[in-house]
Amino acid sequence: MSCSCHGHVDPLVPKIAVIEHIRKDTPDVTTFRVVNPAGGKSFTSLPGQCAMISVPPIGEAMFSITSSPTEENFLELSIKKCGIVTEYLHGLEVGSEIGIRGPYGNNFPVNDELKGKDLLFIAGGIGLAPLRSVINYIMDKRDDYGKVDIVYGARTPDDLVHKEDIFNNWPNRLATNVFLTVDRECEGWDGHVGFVPQYIKELGLDTNKVVLICGPPIMIKFVLQGLEEIGFKKEQIYTTFELRMKCGVGKCGRCNIGDKYVCKDGPVFRLDEIQRLPDEY
Amino acid sequence: MEKIANKVRETARLALANGEVNKILGWKKGDFWYDSYPAFITEEEGTASLIWDSFCVANLSKYLIEQLKEDIKVGVFLKGCDARAFNQLLKDNRVDRDKVVIYGLPCPGMIDPEKVKKAGLAKGLLDVQKSEDEVVFITKEGEQKFSAREFAYDKCLTCQYPNPVVYDELLAEEVERNNTTEYFYQDVEEIEKMSPDERFAYWVEQFSKCIRCNACRNVCPACSCEKCIFDNSKANVAGKAKVDSEEQFFHIVRAYHVAGRCVDCGECSRVCPVGIPLAKLNRKIIKDITEFYGEHNAGVNPSLDAPLETFKLEDIDPFETRAKGGK
Amino acid sequence: MKVLKKEKFPQIWQAINQAYELYLPIEKDDRVNFAQWTEGETVNLEALKTEISPKDVIFPQSETYLKFESDGKKLQLESVESENREYVLFGVRSCDAVSFNLIDNVFLREPIDRLYEKRRNKGTIVSLACSEPEENCFCSSFQIKPEEASPGVDVAAWDLGDKILWKPVTEKGQVLTQKFAQLMEDASQQDQEELIKLQNAIKEKVKELPLASVDPKVIKGELKEIFESKVWDELSQSCLGCGACTYICPTCHCYDIQDFAGGNCGERFRCWDSCMFSEFTLMAHGNPRTTQKQRFRQRFMHKLVYYPNNHGSYACVGCGRCIEKCPVNMNIVKVIKRLGGEG
Ligand SMILES: Cc1cc2nc3c(=O)[nH]c(=O)nc-3n(C[C@H](O)[C@H](O)[C@H](O)COP(=O)(O)OP(=O)(O)OC[C@H]3O[C@@H](n4cnc5c(N)ncnc54)[C@H](O)[C@@H]3O)c2cc1C
Ligand code: SF4
Ligand code: SF4
Ligand code: SF4
Ligand code: SF4
Ligand code: FES
Repeated sequence: MSCSCHGHVDPLVPKIAVIEHIRKDTPDVTTFRVVNPAGGKSFTSLPGQCAMISVPPIGEAMFSITSSPTEENFLELSIKKCGIVTEYLHGLEVGSEIGIRGPYGNNFPVNDELKGKDLLFIAGGIGLAPLRSVINYIMDKRDDYGKVDIVYGARTPDDLVHKEDIFNNWPNRLATNVFLTVDRECEGWDGHVGFVPQYIKELGLDTNKVVLICGPPIMIKFVLQGLEEIGFKKEQIYTTFELRMKCGVGKCGRCNIGDKYVCKDGPVFRLDEIQRLPDEY
Repeated sequence: MEKIANKVRETARLALANGEVNKILGWKKGDFWYDSYPAFITEEEGTASLIWDSFCVANLSKYLIEQLKEDIKVGVFLKGCDARAFNQLLKDNRVDRDKVVIYGLPCPGMIDPEKVKKAGLAKGLLDVQKSEDEVVFITKEGEQKFSAREFAYDKCLTCQYPNPVVYDELLAEEVERNNTTEYFYQDVEEIEKMSPDERFAYWVEQFSKCIRCNACRNVCPACSCEKCIFDNSKANVAGKAKVDSEEQFFHIVRAYHVAGRCVDCGECSRVCPVGIPLAKLNRKIIKDITEFYGEHNAGVNPSLDAPLETFKLEDIDPFETRAKGGK
Repeated sequence: MKVLKKEKFPQIWQAINQAYELYLPIEKDDRVNFAQWTEGETVNLEALKTEISPKDVIFPQSETYLKFESDGKKLQLESVESENREYVLFGVRSCDAVSFNLIDNVFLREPIDRLYEKRRNKGTIVSLACSEPEENCFCSSFQIKPEEASPGVDVAAWDLGDKILWKPVTEKGQVLTQKFAQLMEDASQQDQEELIKLQNAIKEKVKELPLASVDPKVIKGELKEIFESKVWDELSQSCLGCGACTYICPTCHCYDIQDFAGGNCGERFRCWDSCMFSEFTLMAHGNPRTTQKQRFRQRFMHKLVYYPNNHGSYACVGCGRCIEKCPVNMNIVKVIKRLGGEG
C-alpha cells in the first residue's frame, strides 16, 4: 500500500519516511533526522535544495534539507514551530512516520562558481538551515574551497541552532572562522552583541569572496545594503527565498516572484539575477 | 436619466472643486452598452466621465471600507439598495459617517443584461436607453421599444426601497414603487411548498454548481469581516472539497452569518457566475424573522435594534414553532 | 471529411456514450455548461460559449490524488488513480481548445503532472467552429482563428445548418471517426464549398467585432517597468478580490492542495485556487501580497508578461468570459488598453 514501492509516480505523491532521531535545538526549533522505512536516505539532493514534508491530515510544508549531500544515510531538517504543520511535527516522536517528497529547487553552485573561492556565509535564526548543508558539504571537501567565514546571529543565545556545529565542529576546521552574535545583551553570553548587518561592517572583511545569505527578509535586506556599501558586487552574492508553496514543482502558481518560480527556478538566486524581478517577496 | 447624469457630473465636479471631498465614487462607461463600472475620481476633470444609466448596478458602498482607511473624505453615489447597504456597514462599524458625503439617487430599476441576451436582443446592440417604464434598444438598424419591467433584474422587480434611506443630498425626485409583500416572498413560497426532501434535493443541486469563487461573499455588504473563516487556513474549515457537505457548509454559514443583516440588495444572486439563487435563502430568513419577531428591514433605520442581536423574554422559540422538518 | 446530420445527434450521443464518457454543452436552468451527457439531457450546441470554460474536464475543480491513514505514528499513503474512461469532449470552441495547450505548457512540462497527463491522453476533442462570434469575443487578438481547427484538437467540426462537417485531424480523431462512420456520410463537393463560404463569413464577422482591435502587444517595456506602472492602482480599485474571473477563465490554472479527513483517515485533493484571494500567498511570517492591488496585478502580469516570458505566448485566449462575469465589469481588455496607454 505504501507509495515508496512505485517511487515517484506522481510528483505530488509523497513517500513514507521515518523519524530516526530528534534533537531540540532551541525552544522552537527542532532538528529531525529522517530515513526510509527500510533504512537509507529518501532521495539524494544538492546543497540548498528542499523537501516537502507531509503530515496528513494536517497538511504539507516546505523545508530546506539541512544535512549535507555527503551525508549518506539520512536527511536532516531543522524546523521552526510557527503554524499548524510545524506544530504537529514538533509533537512527533522517534519512530513516527511522515510523508516526504523532493528534492525541490535549485542549489548553491558548489561545483561551479563556489569552487576554489573564499566563502562568506551570513545567516540569521533558522536561516542557518539551508546554509548548513553547504557548509558541511564544503567541510567534507575542504581542499576544493578557500577560506570560510561564517557570520551567524540569533535573537538570544538560546535561539542559535546547530550548536554543536557552530561552537565545536566548524571553528576547529582549517581556515574556518565562525562569528556569532545575538541581538541583545544576555546573561552568560560573552560573545558579540548586535545585529548581523552591523556586525558584518565591523568585521572589516575583504571583498574577494563569494557570499551566501539566508535569514529573515528584513535581515537580508539590510545585509545586502551593507555588503554593497563595503564594495561587494551583486554577482558575488547568493541568497535564498521563502515564499508560500504548495506543489513545489512550478505548477500551482503560488511562489512566483515575477516570472520566476521560487520552488523550481529558486530558492537560490544570485543577486544580479533578481535585479530585473519585482520587489514582491 | 441623462438629466440626472448631468447633475451627477456637476455635483461631483463641484464637490472636488470646493474641497468638500477628496474622492468621488461613481460609475463610468466602458466598451459595451451594459458596461457601467465603478469609477474612483480625484481630479475635477475626471468627473466628466461619470454616468448614471440603467446599468449602474454595482453597489459602491462597500468600497468605502477600503477607501476610508486613508484619511480622506469620500463622496459616493448611492441607489436605494446601496443606501441600505451603507446603513448596515454603519451599524456594523465598518464606515465612518462623518467621512462620507452621500449623493442619493432614487433608482428606477436596473436592466439585467442577461435578460436582454436571452431575449436575443443583444446582438449588434449599441445602446440601451430607459425612460419611465420604457426601455429602448438601439442598433445600427434602428430602435426597438419594450416595457422596462421585462428586462429589469429580478431583485429590482421586488425592491422595497428604491429611494435612498440615507443621503446628504438627493439628486432626483423620489420614484414610486408599489410592490406588495406577497409578491416579495413569491420565490420563498415556492420553496416552502416543497416537501422537506424536495427542498433538500433542490438546494443540494443548486449548491453543487458552486465553484467557490467567493463573488457572493465579496460583493455582500453584510459580509465585511476582517478575516472570513473561509480565508483562514488555520481554522481548517477552508472546505474546498467538491462534496455536498462542504458546499452546504459554505452556503449555510454564509446565509446564516448575514441573517438579520442582509439588506436584500440581491447582489449575491446577481454576481454568482453559475446562477445559484442565493438571495432566495436570505429572503427565507427575512421572512422567518418577520414572522417570528415582526418586520425588520436591515439597513433602513440603523438606530433600530436587529431582532437577532437582541433578546426579549417574550421572544418565541423558533425550534418549538418549527420543529418538525419544516413546513 | 465527413458529414453528420443533426437529426443523427441523439443516435451518435448514445453511440459515443457506449464507448466513451461523453462531455457536451448541456443546458440546465437556462445555463449552458460542459457536463457529462446522460440520456435526456438538453444538448445546446448553439450557445457559443459555456458559462464556465471546459477546463474542468481536463483539470477538475477538485480532484483526489492521495488516500491516507495515520494513527499519529504509522502512516499509510496510497496514490489514487483516476478512474476515467476514455472520453470525448464535443463542441469545444477555438478559444477553449487553445487554452488546453496553454495549460499543457505548465502541467506537461517536467516534472509531468501524471493525473493531468492521463486525463489529457484519454480525451478526444472535437472542436466546433464559431459561426456566430459574440460581441465580447477577441480571440483574434491572440491569433486564434475561430473558423479553423485549433492546434491540438482531434476532430474539427463546422455547423452547416442541418448538419455538421466533420474533419478528423489526428490519429485519435481518425479512430473516433471510424468507430461511428456508419452514422456519417462523406462530404460532397458542395459541402466543401459551403465550408469555405462559412469560413469566410466567420472571418468577416470576427473583423467586425467591437474588440477586434484589442492588441496585447501595446504592452511594452521591461517586466519591472510594467509591474511598477501607476495604472495598477487605478485599475485594481474596483476589484472585489473574488475569484470569479479566475475560475471561469479557461487558462487560469493555479491550484491549492488540501487534506479532507474524518478521524484518522482521509484524502488529499487538489482544487482550483485563485491568485485574487487574500490568503493565496500568506505565510507563517507574512504575506508578500497584502493588498488587492498586488493580487490583481499578479493575475494580469501572469497572463500578459510572466507566462509569455516563460512559454512564448499570452495566457489569455480572448474568450471574453471575464468581460461577461466580473461583478464590477473589470476585465483583461480594460487592463490591456490601459497598460497600452489608452484611456
Ligand atoms: C523554500 C523554503 C524553505 C524553507 N525552509 C525552512 C526550514 O528549513 N526550516 C523551517 O523551519 N522553515 C522553513 N521554511 C518555512 C516553512 O515552510 C514554514 O514555516 C511552514 O510552511 C509553516 O507551516 P505551518 O503549517 O506550520 O504554518 P501555518 O501558518 O499554520 O501555515 C498554514 C499554511 O501556510 C503554509 N505556509 C505557511 N508559511 C509558509 C512558508 N513560509 N512557506 C510555505 N508555506 C507556508 C503551510 O503550508 C500551511 O498550509 C521554508 C520555506 C520555504 C518556501
Ligand atoms: S458566487 Fe456563486 S459560485 Fe461563487 S461562491 Fe458564491 S455561490 Fe458559489
Ligand atoms: S476582476 Fe472582477 S471577477 Fe476578478 S476578482 Fe476582481 S472583481 Fe472578481
Ligand atoms: S482572461 Fe478573460 S478573456 Fe482571457 S482567457 Fe481568461 S476569461 Fe477569457
Ligand atoms: S473568442 Fe473566438 S473562439 Fe472563442 S467563442 Fe468567441 S469567436 Fe469563438
Ligand atoms: S510551489 Fe507551486 S508553483 Fe511553486
